[in-house]
Amino acid sequence: MDRRKFLKQSSLASSLFFVPSFVKAFENVASSSLGYKRLVIIQLSGGNDGLNTVVPFENDLYYKERPSLSIAKGDVLKLTDEIGLHPSLAPLNRLYDKGLLTIINNVGYPNPNRSHFRSMDIWQTAVDSDEYSQSGWIGRYIDNYGDAPYTAIEINESLSLAMKGETKNAIATQDAKSLFNLSRDPYFKNLQGHKNDTHLSEHNLGYLYKSMIEAHSSAKYIYETSKTVSAKKEYPKNKFGKQLKTTAQFINSHLETKVYYASLNGFDTHVNQLPTQKRLLSQYAEGIETFVQDLKAGGTFDDTLILTFSEFGRRVKQNASVGTDHGTANNLFIIGNQLRKPGLYNKMANLSDLDGNGDLKFEIDFRTIYATVLNKWLEVNDKKILNKSFKQLNFI
Amino acid sequence: MKRKHIQHLYRRVGFGILPNELDKLSKMKRKEVVANLFKASKNVTPLELDTTELKSLMGTSYMMAKDNIRDIQKLSRESTQKLNRAWIERLTNPTELLREKMTLFWANHFVCEDNNYVYTQNFHNTLRQHALGNFRAFVVAISKQAAMTKYLNTKQNKKQKPNENFARELMELFTLGVGNYTEQDIKESAKAFTGYSHNMQGDFVFRRRVHHEGTKTFFGKSGNFNGEDIIDIILEKRRCAQYISEKVYRYFVNDTINKAHVEAMTDAFYKDYNIEKLMRFVCLSDWFYNEENIGTKIKSPIEFLVGIKTLVPTEFKNQKQLMYLQRLMGQILLDPPNVAGWKGGQNWIDSNTIALRLKLPSLLLNSSYISKSKKGQTDARIKERKQFFKKNYGKWFNVENNWGYFEKQFKNVAMNELDNHILACNISPNAQAYLNSLEKVSKQEYCVQLMSLPEYQMC
Repeated sequence: MDRRKFLKQSSLASSLFFVPSFVKAFENVASSSLGYKRLVIIQLSGGNDGLNTVVPFENDLYYKERPSLSIAKGDVLKLTDEIGLHPSLAPLNRLYDKGLLTIINNVGYPNPNRSHFRSMDIWQTAVDSDEYSQSGWIGRYIDNYGDAPYTAIEINESLSLAMKGETKNAIATQDAKSLFNLSRDPYFKNLQGHKNDTHLSEHNLGYLYKSMIEAHSSAKYIYETSKTVSAKKEYPKNKFGKQLKTTAQFINSHLETKVYYASLNGFDTHVNQLPTQKRLLSQYAEGIETFVQDLKAGGTFDDTLILTFSEFGRRVKQNASVGTDHGTANNLFIIGNQLRKPGLYNKMANLSDLDGNGDLKFEIDFRTIYATVLNKWLEVNDKKILNKSFKQLNFI
Repeated sequence: MKRKHIQHLYRRVGFGILPNELDKLSKMKRKEVVANLFKASKNVTPLELDTTELKSLMGTSYMMAKDNIRDIQKLSRESTQKLNRAWIERLTNPTELLREKMTLFWANHFVCEDNNYVYTQNFHNTLRQHALGNFRAFVVAISKQAAMTKYLNTKQNKKQKPNENFARELMELFTLGVGNYTEQDIKESAKAFTGYSHNMQGDFVFRRRVHHEGTKTFFGKSGNFNGEDIIDIILEKRRCAQYISEKVYRYFVNDTINKAHVEAMTDAFYKDYNIEKLMRFVCLSDWFYNEENIGTKIKSPIEFLVGIKTLVPTEFKNQKQLMYLQRLMGQILLDPPNVAGWKGGQNWIDSNTIALRLKLPSLLLNSSYISKSKKGQTDARIKERKQFFKKNYGKWFNVENNWGYFEKQFKNVAMNELDNHILACNISPNAQAYLNSLEKVSKQEYCVQLMSLPEYQMC
């Protein structure tokens, strides 16, 4: 029985519990229904050029602004009479054809920031562009609804801001074994002793001891649970493929983890964009297709939603180095088989109505997407996490 | 001065103290120890790399630099990494100890980063120069740094189209703290900072044409204020002295504010905003040496790393690994997460960082080995275990240690005295019981055992 179910069922006999921490858990679970849904977040770092990813191949303005950087009409993988995918995205096209992909166009936020770091922070912390937050949206999800550090796992060597909460943090691991090895020295286990540890209540030192114990048990849990399962599919041999393979292994071993975070870097294509983006998009699409197949084989795809985003799109007009500069609004992909509106969720941006910098004007605030995912997929109170009420969309 | 108090002082305003120095200082009074500390930090020794090549690539105008922009960025990246390493070296072997620790503190107060190395280095040394100086002059200097006018967009702040970023952070993060000003105050003060810019070489330039000439109403005062006027009006508020005192208190004294102590600091600081006097006040206060302030803070990754290097000199053969280590622990110098800086305290610690930090002393200093020989037994396998590690994992931590230095420094320290030098807080009962059950094979092995305790993370 998973913890949610346990809490739900035992709430019938809630008088049995007097422990305050349970009270909090009840509060959080009360309004939501059951089910073990997972979210996988894929971050395309550097600012993927959305306009060459989802291509408006009937739009003259697009070809006019990008004389040597556009995708020719004959090369795109056509989705509709006007819109097609980058030729590297054939695997994604197949997901689209099966109704497993929703493309949300023109996603951004007010007063866009064109710095990678800042814009990535904004996406990861989900605050207004003139606010600074030191906790991420998934971190705040763990603060409110997570029990263990492994509630959310980043397949990386260290944690992104998105995964850091006010009081709790996710766990980062590239492979379960190395983290386990780091913490398994019996010396650390022996420090804990067997008696009731009174010093655990001590402010900072107690926190260190608690974190040490938690780290060890999390690492052990992840390692021992996931080692029973291996990939059923052959993944592309690159770093991103490896991340997805590890993620699928974790998911298929039924780790009690709700959110996974992976990233693909290198999209900052100021110079000679075509070959770079081609390579990265095919890494992305091939990896994702294998991942979906692997989850299907493991019977876990039904309960998994994959969200892909980038910190910003790029300028409509190409620059002098056959590349593009930092832009604003971008497209975002949702993959899963419980989509309410597979295909194109909304229209593409209007290329004749740009802002002062020659960038797209956003239509959908990315936080409405977060709010929807939190509320409808992870089934939690999105306002509590985003500290604000956002409109719910109907893609799931 | 009590040994314990000297150790406390040196752990907070430095990165620890070695036995010989401690012996020497223990014969002096607190006043003398503190006076020496400040005297030693009188000078300012900038941390500089040769920037001739970079400066010639940049030239004197953007038009000239434009063609070299890739080279400038590449060279800047490399130089910034070099400065990162040089800074860690400086912290490990400082002459002006207090000034260096203050520089580290201010780097997380006036948070800034830039992709042009010349601007980065200027900014960095501005922190060092004003670290113990006058806070007003400090804020003024920071507001005119090229890196800052870029980082918080003062450069884009023009009378036709004001950019409020700097004005907002000036008050929210640098001087007053959130909630001590209105949105209108931000709008008005932003106008006063219009025209702030810099030339290609990084010198401050005031662009009169885009400066808003006219009346601004700020904190109830009206006038044709410029940026420095705004800073003066902010500093008139006692809240500013209090805000800085709080921050100093949290960094140097305790995560949890003691209102009475901070009030006393505020009184001292508000008089003339002299940072040196403020720090002297803290170091001389009796409450600074209260039990509740000793060994109760969690070391930052840099404090942790430099502390290790201070004890056992450790040189990274592969400098990339030093960078990587900072990333894993969550604090890369010169690469802050955002303008609010690192949160510090318990936020340094998550499952990954605690696992790494506990294992790191043995990884760096002892071939990953922590002796677990039971009392009365020799550690027979020690050599072969260490060799096994070196062969299989040594490349991940390609370092050279100078344990000879440690042996020399701790020659006259008895085995059972070692914990008093290595740890800032008492060992928790369970850990103590376990340590008692183990054989103290050698000073080195015992030292590694102590450094592998959660207690070693405290300062």
